[in-house]
Amino acid sequence: MSKTYFDETHCAIGHPKSKFMQWMLTVDHKRIGIMYAAVMFFYFFIAVGTAFMMRLELLAPGGQFLDGDTFNQAFTLHGVIMIFLFIIPGVPAVLGNIVMPLMIGAKDVSFPRLNWFTFWLYVVGTFIALASLFTDAGFADTGWTFYAPYSINTSTNVIFTLVAAFVLGMASILTGLNFLVTIHRLRAPGMDFWKMPLFVWGIYATAWIQLLATPVVGITLILAIMEKYFGIGIFDPAKGGDPVLFEHLFWIYSHPAVYLMILPAFGIMSEIIPTFSRREVFGYRAIAISSASIAGIGYLVWGHHLYTSGMADTAKIIFSFLTFFVAIPTGIKFYDWVATMYKGKIILATPMLWALGTIITFTIGGLTGVTIAMIGVDIHLQDTYYTVAHFHYAMLGGVVFLFFAGLHYWFPLVTGKMYNEYHGKISFYLQFVGFNLLWFPMFIAGYYGMPRRYFDYLPEFQIYHQVSFLGAVIFITGLIYMFVVFYKGWTKGEPSGTNPWNATTLEWHLPTSPPPLENHSKVPYVDFNPYEYHHGQPVVKFDYKTMQRID
Amino acid sequence: MDVNNSLSGFNSMASTFAKDVDQAFWINFWISIVLGLSVLIPMFYFAWKYRESNVKDEEIENVTHNTALEIGWTLIPTMLMMVLFYYGYSSMKSLRTMPAASESIVVKVEGSKWKWKYEYPANKAGHVHKITSVYDKKIGDVKRGLYVPVGTNIILEMTAPLNDVIHSYFVPAFRMKEDVVPGRMTKQWFKSDVVGEYEVECAEYCGTAHSYMYSKIVVMEQADYDKWFESNAKSPFEDASAAPISKGQSLYEDNGCAGCHSIDSEATLVGPGLKGIGAKYDAEYLKNAIINPDKDVPAGFFPGVMPPFALSDADVAELVKYMQNAK
Repeated sequence: MSKTYFDETHCAIGHPKSKFMQWMLTVDHKRIGIMYAAVMFFYFFIAVGTAFMMRLELLAPGGQFLDGDTFNQAFTLHGVIMIFLFIIPGVPAVLGNIVMPLMIGAKDVSFPRLNWFTFWLYVVGTFIALASLFTDAGFADTGWTFYAPYSINTSTNVIFTLVAAFVLGMASILTGLNFLVTIHRLRAPGMDFWKMPLFVWGIYATAWIQLLATPVVGITLILAIMEKYFGIGIFDPAKGGDPVLFEHLFWIYSHPAVYLMILPAFGIMSEIIPTFSRREVFGYRAIAISSASIAGIGYLVWGHHLYTSGMADTAKIIFSFLTFFVAIPTGIKFYDWVATMYKGKIILATPMLWALGTIITFTIGGLTGVTIAMIGVDIHLQDTYYTVAHFHYAMLGGVVFLFFAGLHYWFPLVTGKMYNEYHGKISFYLQFVGFNLLWFPMFIAGYYGMPRRYFDYLPEFQIYHQVSFLGAVIFITGLIYMFVVFYKGWTKGEPSGTNPWNATTLEWHLPTSPPPLENHSKVPYVDFNPYEYHHGQPVVKFDYKTMQRID
Repeated sequence: MDVNNSLSGFNSMASTFAKDVDQAFWINFWISIVLGLSVLIPMFYFAWKYRESNVKDEEIENVTHNTALEIGWTLIPTMLMMVLFYYGYSSMKSLRTMPAASESIVVKVEGSKWKWKYEYPANKAGHVHKITSVYDKKIGDVKRGLYVPVGTNIILEMTAPLNDVIHSYFVPAFRMKEDVVPGRMTKQWFKSDVVGEYEVECAEYCGTAHSYMYSKIVVMEQADYDKWFESNAKSPFEDASAAPISKGQSLYEDNGCAGCHSIDSEATLVGPGLKGIGAKYDAEYLKNAIINPDKDVPAGFFPGVMPPFALSDADVAELVKYMQNAK
């Protein structure tokens, strides 16, 4: 049997004999992707556990077992892990790393050693982020937004978290840089930009955001640290600084960052829908260009987070106007995906179920975002549960759901095994039902005026918190179920073969399953579109030894 | 505070502009339903119509373009988005167009950890009402609030102390909210036509007792308001001529101490309860605990939570006396 990337690897330093050191030092993009996944999902479950603690506390009004300060640290921990450790690196670091080079017919990313370094920089960042849990001052209680002057006045250990966000931002920049160069320089001959799979387009648009927007948050965090420890007086009103400036600087990055999260996830959707409709994607160029335009417009709309900050009304009007233009390319994508199902053959395998489920949840998440782009309405809904529900519908019901879709879709590629479809579907339904029960009531509570970040609330709102709690229990059950399905699939699953989904893109045209160390045997020549189907069968066929077309 | 699940203090649309905000919300709601269904109905229909068992491979068609449809699903949502932009803008206009100060009552609002203070213009007798509003956990209600006459423009000039943090003055029933920022003055206004009590919440995260930073707005008949406003009473519901409270108690209430410290128990609200505090600490310690609270924090509590209070020596002495008598 031929060797796969699990059997041999290239290392950043030397040629270690031990399997363990081979993993620690590996520069192989597929192994690095797996290690990212392992670390990220470890933290993901910590953050889910923290969120569940908060839901438990909120089951009834009054303090039960968390006091206000602990609750404040809990939602900060939840936010910091979910945003900086999980969802920002998220899809690019795991699936981008594993799949993107395969999709463009490359042997690895452009800078494999940098990729290795970036992974370990990320790991160091995560340690710094959580180290303050074990210091006397305790974990930061600022919320993941670190708003000044609160972050400057608090006695908790904010500096570790700020430094961590800085280091993680650095890792994010390096990932973006690496992917940009890879996509520009290592595409297989013949593959121009209009022949790239749409996931690569998503990663490409994201990489530009990582590269151009992340330095702003780096600057902001440095300024916050200098304010806190040297009192330079840029944000502190007592020294003539302006706290609203911090909000601007923070959102100049953090708003594009939400597109940084969603664009590669949309890319996953664009892979799954044509594959499981067994036909060519509808409106390839429209989908590709809409990714780029979302990335572009995304830079100009940060002010919609500040409608109630005391910003000038004229600025609010401009930001609101621009914000609506993000909705349009997003809407176009959704119409294109649904149109792709027209006259196709819909295979409702687990990845497709996740994709279609996400069309439902993200439609709700996206349209409720339009609500709070309306200035007058947002003045009422800003900082309420409505906003919380909106971004969980968009982030969890969008990015993370599609991440899960991608994990199912590329599971046979990565492991060479198949998970159990029946149990995979059960875990989807559990999570889908639990998710909606968990977050939908928050729209109503928020509309009635339930503010976010409250550890205690007035009895009027109890019913919404109770339904949410029930949803959380179902959702987390489904989540654990899904990982059991993955575990069993990896350890006991049937061999999947190289192309179990009848997909067309290059990552399914590999000589072995799982792939060999340096991917395709030969660099293919790409003179075809990414989703060419004829009568439900992939048009392009390769001899996997020579990578010559044989169709 | 209303605890019978009526949500009346939150949802009664009690300001003149609330209907504009709700109109914008519901226009958005129905447009969202239309746009959402325009995606979801075809999705469900196609998933059913073209299900695996219903389609032979040779029936699959690679439809990749339809110019008319593509223009339609670009232009129609664009137009609908512009409609929504307009209603977002117009509802903001009615929220944010301040009435003339000469036709309004201008109240200064100060938000600080974790109390709201109101300062009215002087009444005919020259008395300036200064009201401190704090939430009393024990009774689940707010002690004192903002008292306003029905059908009158009220302008709120809001700020926070320089050493404090950002808060946000949120009145759900009025559909209004604006941050209260240290070092700058933000404004909002309202006019309420409905007599009643309405919850005020802090909507910008501000630390330990963020969830208890409530206040209330009490909209009253003009005559009731006038009667109170021209008096010296601390609120319309307290009798100025009733048993006079001590200077210390008055200071205790006006500085919002009760928001964090229970005077008649040892229970911790945010800071330590004060019952029997006189037996544990001397007057010097208690004095320092007010003017420089971070210096010597009791075990189990953290510095940085309580702001220092800049009071005159005489006032501090009165406060200490009041605390020492807390039994």
